[in-house]
Amino acid sequence: MLRKILFNTQTVLRHQMQVNINKTATPAPLQLDQNHIDEAIKLEPTLGIYTSDVWRRAHETFHNHGLETMNFLRIVTGNPAVLKRSPQRIVDSLEIWRACQFGEYWLHLLLTKYPQLLDVGADGTDAHQLLSHIAYLKSRVTTNKNVWKLLMNSPNILAQSEKSLEDKLDYIIDVMRIEVPEIVKSSALALGFDELRCRHVFLTRLGLFKPRALKADPNEPTTNNKLYQITDTSEKTFATKISHTTLPEYEVFKELFARELNRKGKRSKQPEEEESSDEEDS
Amino acid sequence: MLKVRKICWLPCRWKSGKKRWNVLQHKKTNCDRALDSFDDFYGSVYGGRWKNMRAALLTEHKYVAMVNNFGDTEQTCSMLEMDGAINIKSLIHLAQERKSQVQVQEEGHVANSTEMDSKLDALLRKQQEREVAAIYPQAGEDGAAVELPQKLNYSKDEKRPAEDKKEDNLDYKQSLTKALEEDMQLEQDRLVDPQFGTGGLYEYMPANSIKGMEDWVAESEHYKYYQTNVDFPLKIEPETSFYYPEHLALYTYEMGNCSDFKSPKKCLTGVLSHFLMDGGSILPPLFLQVQPGERVLDACAAPGGKSLLLLQTLHIDHLVCNDVQESRLKKLKHVMQEYLFDYKERWQGKRLIFNMGDARNLDEYESYDKILVDVPCTTDRHVLMQQDNNIFKPTRIKERLRIPELQSGILANCLRLLRPGGSLVYSTCSLSPVQNDGVVHMALQKVFNDHGITTTVRDLSQQVALFADIFKFEQPKGLKYGQMVVPYLPANFGPMYFSKITRNT
Repeated sequence: MLRKILFNTQTVLRHQMQVNINKTATPAPLQLDQNHIDEAIKLEPTLGIYTSDVWRRAHETFHNHGLETMNFLRIVTGNPAVLKRSPQRIVDSLEIWRACQFGEYWLHLLLTKYPQLLDVGADGTDAHQLLSHIAYLKSRVTTNKNVWKLLMNSPNILAQSEKSLEDKLDYIIDVMRIEVPEIVKSSALALGFDELRCRHVFLTRLGLFKPRALKADPNEPTTNNKLYQITDTSEKTFATKISHTTLPEYEVFKELFARELNRKGKRSKQPEEEESSDEEDS
Repeated sequence: MLKVRKICWLPCRWKSGKKRWNVLQHKKTNCDRALDSFDDFYGSVYGGRWKNMRAALLTEHKYVAMVNNFGDTEQTCSMLEMDGAINIKSLIHLAQERKSQVQVQEEGHVANSTEMDSKLDALLRKQQEREVAAIYPQAGEDGAAVELPQKLNYSKDEKRPAEDKKEDNLDYKQSLTKALEEDMQLEQDRLVDPQFGTGGLYEYMPANSIKGMEDWVAESEHYKYYQTNVDFPLKIEPETSFYYPEHLALYTYEMGNCSDFKSPKKCLTGVLSHFLMDGGSILPPLFLQVQPGERVLDACAAPGGKSLLLLQTLHIDHLVCNDVQESRLKKLKHVMQEYLFDYKERWQGKRLIFNMGDARNLDEYESYDKILVDVPCTTDRHVLMQQDNNIFKPTRIKERLRIPELQSGILANCLRLLRPGGSLVYSTCSLSPVQNDGVVHMALQKVFNDHGITTTVRDLSQQVALFADIFKFEQPKGLKYGQMVVPYLPANFGPMYFSKITRNT
């Protein structure tokens, strides 16, 4: 009992101290010190060539747009090219991202996690493309928040064509019968279509994955693995932990399955050719 | 060509695409039925290992190439070797050397397989309960619980306990005919006596069984073929020697390598260069160990892979190929014609004799030295892949449930065809213990009871170990009378069960 009380007081004290630190940290925005710059250069030596004027200018630009000093440093170390850009260009790309309407806080999180995203709108040419891509994603996953989640999990979907995304989304929704909330929690879309299908078919043939019945209640729990377990794992983890087999088995399956699809593709092409030739004959 | 739809307006059935769940729902095919039944049955027999077998069964299988000795043998061998295939003969020799170096003490696996028995018992009980539950719903309409009958009353007489074995044997044989006879009586029972008028039909009579269920064949009937009580002299001896035929050239890829073989080509002699067959199928003819000058019967020969392998050993003087259907026999003849040089002059009717008939009715008793009994079975790989001619078609349920009966009939008759001292290999391509050990047990019991024939089961576990690099075998603990190749993705052969039985002199 005594120990419990002691322990409690300790945690409370520690918590209070943290609160105090936060209080002192948040209201007064951190100024860019030489310390910070040194640390950043240590992490990313290519930053060493810029003068402190450049540093200050870039810091101010980000600061004016609500990004904290720490976030700024993270962005700069992640993507050093940002530092030498003119303030106007940085503002432009931030504005383009703002137009996606993820919300200021969430946008900052996204840009801090993937500083390369600031390159997207930087040229001014592909701004329209980006926005239409985001709009397409929104049409498939319904909300901006979901688009943001998708980007947080798999930023490379921006580089994928709409066609390939469409294929994957159709497969996940129609064949695997997994719904949007689960999709946005995984980085399934970062995976190639063939890889995704191979993993799913492997689980189906093992009898471990059964698509939900069409009329079943969506809230009913299933014994299927979650999508993120299927897609966000290395091949070895997938083979041993998710499908409870061995890696050689999965590797052989991949090979056999690719061959099977190949054969099927050939077979389905042949009848078409025959049909067309028939039509010509007649 | 102008399409009709382009000229006339035709109402389209799915205007806004197929969206409703009942349209989208996948229609259940025979393959799905087979898979469901296997999931249920094998899942409880093999436990966690079943899912690996399942994935392997549903994926393409691996082949073994048998080089035709009547074609350009050396050329074919070098071609296959160039592709990276390995001669099984050399693998066997390596394994034999290894074995002679390291004396491996393998304990006899034949002790007892109580595990398997209890699993099957549990399965039988489960299946029965489920069927009872399906026919008699859990609770009555008024909410009161209805006491479940312990057995389905699809047949009138109660099953006798297994004290009287002879009676039991008769039961197997006549179960269906008896049921049919009873059906005839039931038809008459149902007629309404005119003296009561139709008014009698409307009198309230509480239902105690469901009409139309009289000819119902319960799935649990199938599992009753599997019996374990031994009441015949059972002798199991380890096989001592194994001899790999000198002239037989079989090629395979190592475990994990799933490359394809080239398709067979025409050779100078006008026959095809090699024959592609499932790897499991090479084992039964190899373990038959045919010696020069022996008279051999292949009781269910079509499509001919195993018979051809027997011929390729070049030991055979006299092979009789039997099959029940003309179409299957035709297929077999076609294969032989393609692979045997001078087929018409030297083989047909002289050294190779075809016979069309039911293997249960062959009556050349005690005239063969070796018999290969590759019985018809549920062909587990085939039924999961092919829609047509599928034994899991709902209309073929009676046929399917009677398969073990048919198999044991064939095996028992083949045991009678053997010369005393001769041996046979019984093989199936099914994972079902009912069709494997169950049938062997039933047939051994039958030939002892009816004809007083005693036999010795050969324990092949030593020989099987030589093939362990190529195939994945079922653990010997689960099997009583034989060995089994199980499907495994890196070595996707089989399933193939085989058991060698020698008739005592």
